[in-house]
Amino acid sequence: MEIEEKKERSFLNVIIWTIPILLFCVFVLMILFTPAFQDSAFKVKSWFTGFQVSEETSNEGIEKLEVRSQRNINLIEAKLDNLKPVKPYIVVNTTENRYSLRNAGGDTVRTGGCSTGKNEVLIAGKKRIIFKTPKGMFTVLNKQENRPWIKPDWAFIEDGLPIPSARSASRIDYNTLGDYALSIGDGYMLHGTLYQRFLGLPVTHGCVRLGDKDLDVIYHTLSKGSKVFIY
Amino acid sequence: MKNKLTFWVITSVLSIFVIYALVSTVLMPVLTKNPLPKAIIQTTSDEKPKNSKKDNNDSKDEIVSEPVVSSNSKDAKVKLFELRKREVLLHSRLELANEDSMYLVLDLINNTAVLEMKGVSLHESKILESSVSNSIKMYHTEALLNWMAEPFMLKHVEATIPKIEYVEKIAPKDTIEANKVAVEPAPAKLGDVYIVMDFDRNLRLVISQSEKPDDEGKKVISAMRRKYQEMEVRRSLQSLIKFNREPAMPQISIVIPKSDATIFYKALPVRPKMIIRM
Repeated sequence: MEIEEKKERSFLNVIIWTIPILLFCVFVLMILFTPAFQDSAFKVKSWFTGFQVSEETSNEGIEKLEVRSQRNINLIEAKLDNLKPVKPYIVVNTTENRYSLRNAGGDTVRTGGCSTGKNEVLIAGKKRIIFKTPKGMFTVLNKQENRPWIKPDWAFIEDGLPIPSARSASRIDYNTLGDYALSIGDGYMLHGTLYQRFLGLPVTHGCVRLGDKDLDVIYHTLSKGSKVFIY
Repeated sequence: MKNKLTFWVITSVLSIFVIYALVSTVLMPVLTKNPLPKAIIQTTSDEKPKNSKKDNNDSKDEIVSEPVVSSNSKDAKVKLFELRKREVLLHSRLELANEDSMYLVLDLINNTAVLEMKGVSLHESKILESSVSNSIKMYHTEALLNWMAEPFMLKHVEATIPKIEYVEKIAPKDTIEANKVAVEPAPAKLGDVYIVMDFDRNLRLVISQSEKPDDEGKKVISAMRRKYQEMEVRRSLQSLIKFNREPAMPQISIVIPKSDATIFYKALPVRPKMIIRM
């Protein structure tokens, strides 16, 4: 009997020590996972706070405020609609090297692969020439068929050739840009390519290269003033 | 007897520690501090500079801070609150659409993340999983409306992938060298993505990829997660001494496909803005 009592007492003595151990664990967990504890506390707090609104009162009723709010919403929505392009436009994804041609309503009418800037820095002495496609909203400034490419200095530097004079005939290249070119400013264009197998890869010096069939549709869908979104 | 005394001393000390930690790291920040700071309404470019302050306040009054009548029923208040929330969101969206930068629209109602510019959706991604801190989602308050009144602007970002990756190339001396260095282009490999974006007004957006990361990605991602957890632990430990802990940043976590996360991160400008619909 005595032995049993002793055993029970020693068991209780051991069990009771779990209390400080648990307390210690709670303390450590609270420090390690404070944001989770706070998040739970915010939930508990919300049970007591409920729906809080300004204490200030107005003579107007809720219905009136609702009407005003709805009117504001309609007004802002109309303003947002006015900002959207009124002509068909093209969206170019430089990460995946894909384009989507959309009509004025924003519906996609054609998608496909394209090639954009290769994100390369060409170091020529002290010069650093960056080949990347700019991002943002651009406008088609002009459209040309069979446009020759006037090679800039970097085209010669990249090929290890001496740079010719500004008006040298060797700067004119009749094949590189393909059948059509749409200029979007600062020398950047949407144009064709001789390297169709590279479509879908980032290989250009900043322009957007398109396949022949895609370029044909895009050229005949977009007009001067159409928007070009590049992201 | 000695054991009993030791037990009571240790238990009492630990209880005091736990209560003190609970108060200083959890209860005080939650009960006394507002995790959703009020937005400062920006002056738009077409406003007259002379009366800008007054005009600004006026326009804000019309859009955001209109007092709600407290005498009407709760349902009507909830309806009005939702209308005003929509109005605030549209107002922010219009403000961003008037700018020349891309911005992010996080629609937690339809579970989509949209990259927009000038009101045009450029890229849309389905949010596969999302979670919002209780400090944001549990409160239908004026504080929430005022917090959302302006677009959120990025203050700091950390990601496991580079924003832009440039390859440096030395110009060849002649055509022979140019032919030698010419390499066949190959598609770039997408690295595993984990992005932590800290916006102004105390908001953190965490973007994770839905795909399982590879071994290297797992290491990088868990190292980044650990770093942020360590920061919180340090803040909690400091609060035990200084007793002034701020609430943890309200956080929105989303899980989207890796390709979409990469596109968003690379496409957004250095200081992008974001609006949240919820």
